[in-house]
Amino acid sequence: MLKLYNKPFIDIKNSRPEIEVTVENILFEFKSNEKLATEKYVDKLILVKGKIAAISISKGHSIITLKDKNGISSVICQMLAEDNLNALKLEKGDEILIKGVCTGYLLDIMMVRCVLINNNFKDE
Amino acid sequence: MNKTVILLLFLVSIQLFSQEKYLTKEGYISFFSHSLVEDIKADNYQVLSVIDTETGEIGVQLLMRSFMFKKALMQEHFNESYIESYKYPKATLKGFIVNFNGLDAQNTTVEIKGLLTIHGVEKEMSAMAKIEVLKNRINLSGTFKVEVADFNINIPTIVRNNIAKTIKVTFDLQHKPYK
Repeated sequence: MLKLYNKPFIDIKNSRPEIEVTVENILFEFKSNEKLATEKYVDKLILVKGKIAAISISKGHSIITLKDKNGISSVICQMLAEDNLNALKLEKGDEILIKGVCTGYLLDIMMVRCVLINNNFKDE
Repeated sequence: MNKTVILLLFLVSIQLFSQEKYLTKEGYISFFSHSLVEDIKADNYQVLSVIDTETGEIGVQLLMRSFMFKKALMQEHFNESYIESYKYPKATLKGFIVNFNGLDAQNTTVEIKGLLTIHGVEKEMSAMAKIEVLKNRINLSGTFKVEVADFNINIPTIVRNNIAKTIKVTFDLQHKPYK
């Protein structure tokens, strides 16, 4: 019982994403049919590929924003604390892979518990 | 038409038709439940909030699944059993800041009034907030109380002692001009 109570969160770093998608495609899917896209992506571990539009820090969390080419909507990724420093090494315009849990769509697609995929780093 | 669609249209129209909008996509809202058995806290760092400075209207939207809990099981129960996020993925507030254009200080207390929708139930609400109007920034922060029973949220008897009847909500929304 106590074991269940203390059940850990899913280990994002070592789990395989259920779906791999580009920023353009996932935005297109949410904009054309939010209900269908919600069923497909929300609460799932997904891998998103896109270009960085912004990197910011809010209350100890780094946030990476990926934008599509049209630039109105974006995918906003709240990083896990363990990747805060790595997030700061990245630059606007870099094309990266982010793995995390999709929580849904407001004006943008929201992701939480995100981690960077290692081959993001040119010097590694 | 679905309420979230209406709010979304409202938010979108705000952005298209006026210059005087302040917005954040990284607003913070948390809730806290205190009981003799345990304290439960969850944080959401992905709150969308828009203020129309011409009218003092405010629109807030958040995703229930963006609330982060300390324990995975709490988060699971919250989304799957109590809030039913698969059915009601968002919470919204559509309201206004009372006497927004008559504010006579940069730093003061205001009342926010509006319709709060949680778990598909719409309810009138009012909250006091600290407002800071700075150049290129409008900050709103404060707390208010939410009665679980008002929103038709069904808490099983077995855990009823673990969850407070009144939940304290804390918000901190730092808006910037919308370009």
